[in-house]
Amino acid sequence: MHIPDGYLSPQTYIPLFGVFVTVTAVAIKKVKKEVSARNIPYLGMAAAFAFIVMMFNLPIPGGTTGHAVGSAVISIIFGPWAAMLAVSVALIIQAFIFGDGGITAIGANCFNMAVFMPFTAYYIFRLICRNTKRISKVSFAAFISGYISLVMAAILTAVEFGIQPLIASAPDGKALYCPYNLSIAVPAMAIEHIFLFGIVEGIITAIVVNFFLKTEPTLIYAFRNSDKNE
Amino acid sequence: MENKIPSYLLQPGNDQHELANAKVIRLSFLDKTLMNSATAVKSIYVQAENASKENFIQKISPHIKLISLIYLVLIISFVSHHKAQIIITIFIFALFIMARLNIFKVYKKIFFLAFIFGFIVVLPASLNIITPGKIIFNIITINKPLHFWIYTIPQNIGFTENGLKVVSLIFLRILNSVSLAMLIIFTTSFPSFIKSFKILGVPDTFLMIISLAYKYIFILSRTIEETYFALRSRLSGNIKNSKIRELISGRIFFIFKKSMIIYESTYYAMVSRGYQGKVLLHSQKKLTAMDFVTLIIIVAFGVWIIYL
Repeated sequence: MHIPDGYLSPQTYIPLFGVFVTVTAVAIKKVKKEVSARNIPYLGMAAAFAFIVMMFNLPIPGGTTGHAVGSAVISIIFGPWAAMLAVSVALIIQAFIFGDGGITAIGANCFNMAVFMPFTAYYIFRLICRNTKRISKVSFAAFISGYISLVMAAILTAVEFGIQPLIASAPDGKALYCPYNLSIAVPAMAIEHIFLFGIVEGIITAIVVNFFLKTEPTLIYAFRNSDKNE
Repeated sequence: MENKIPSYLLQPGNDQHELANAKVIRLSFLDKTLMNSATAVKSIYVQAENASKENFIQKISPHIKLISLIYLVLIISFVSHHKAQIIITIFIFALFIMARLNIFKVYKKIFFLAFIFGFIVVLPASLNIITPGKIIFNIITINKPLHFWIYTIPQNIGFTENGLKVVSLIFLRILNSVSLAMLIIFTTSFPSFIKSFKILGVPDTFLMIISLAYKYIFILSRTIEETYFALRSRLSGNIKNSKIRELISGRIFFIFKKSMIIYESTYYAMVSRGYQGKVLLHSQKKLTAMDFVTLIIIVAFGVWIIYL
């Protein structure tokens, strides 16, 4: 899911960076209202937690292991705006310290995994759960929100890859950036995320939300927010 | 002779009972998590150690490094000639030598990343299935072309000249971007590098969040390492799926609670030092003549590459 440098053309990464900066500015305002003066250490902690969640591996069939992106679980626990900031910070640190994801692709990676994914996951979770806190329904909602948000984010990433031959080719038609068009990029990314990574994301989201619900349900933003709205 | 082993050690535990009925699952997920946390801690240590060296590149102001990084990464992204990319590769290598880093170790990591993302992933693009053109190396010939939905597989499948040019250009671009990022990362302290984003107009609040998150990551990675290492020492053989889910969710919850405690302590420490909700990061030391000379050289190099 982390797009490296060299895959996206400036026509793609510059507008996506612009969108990311705009959404970040809105998120900072929103979160400041919600967590007041505590916002800086709180978001620092949320970002570190978002980074750490990506480290936890789950065994998957075939003897290998997989980890979650974590955006879905972070958005359910911290709320979509805080999750947006937290996952963005985690992705920026990953790009600059660990070389995961390119520097020119920071805007695109943040847009896919820190803007699109948390909001999709959060609203799917709320839509399925509504006001119930029944464990089986909450677990199901968490699984579906993790699964669908990751699969959709992967397809979005694939579309960004797939449009490169259309919008940024040499005059002789040679690809200058990602060489795979939509008919290759979308199925390739969709299949592996539908049958493997989406399931891992769903399971991790479900087990973590389930554990929080059993132990301290007041920590889950999605429920705090729905209680406020009631 | 009387058996002196305490009775509680002779009784089969619940875990053993569960293990007996368990499906075969290895404990590699624990090792992988341990490896991830250890890598995070190690990367932060190595980065901090390299950045503290007193060599030419390390002494350059983080502001200049940030501007140079963005400027050169954009040039690497825009330039589509092999010759220009190769010259950039040589230029970055020369900068690595000036930084007196362990070239072998750093380039091992750079080539690994470039090999995966710049070669393995894009290699199929060198075939005529993806990039049409004159086949210079035929791999396989089938009886007749195959048509399936929107896909067509030609009769002769092989590497094309255009395809190899595409793959080599992407490989060079990724190699250059990764090596440039690594050069800056390994020669600059992360907190001062983050502070330098002020010149791009990034709000202090956002920079402070990144700085705090960076420190928390270090502390929490150590915590994962310790808890997983303890867990790994206690477990052997196989383990049930349900138990794995419980273990992972429990550890994530524990990390969450621990991070909440750290966040609360940080907040109270900040309040006791006069924090009222607004952050103002102190500006860094002034630019020197060496910084300006470096900036001029980088800008001139970039212009030369563009007009090459």
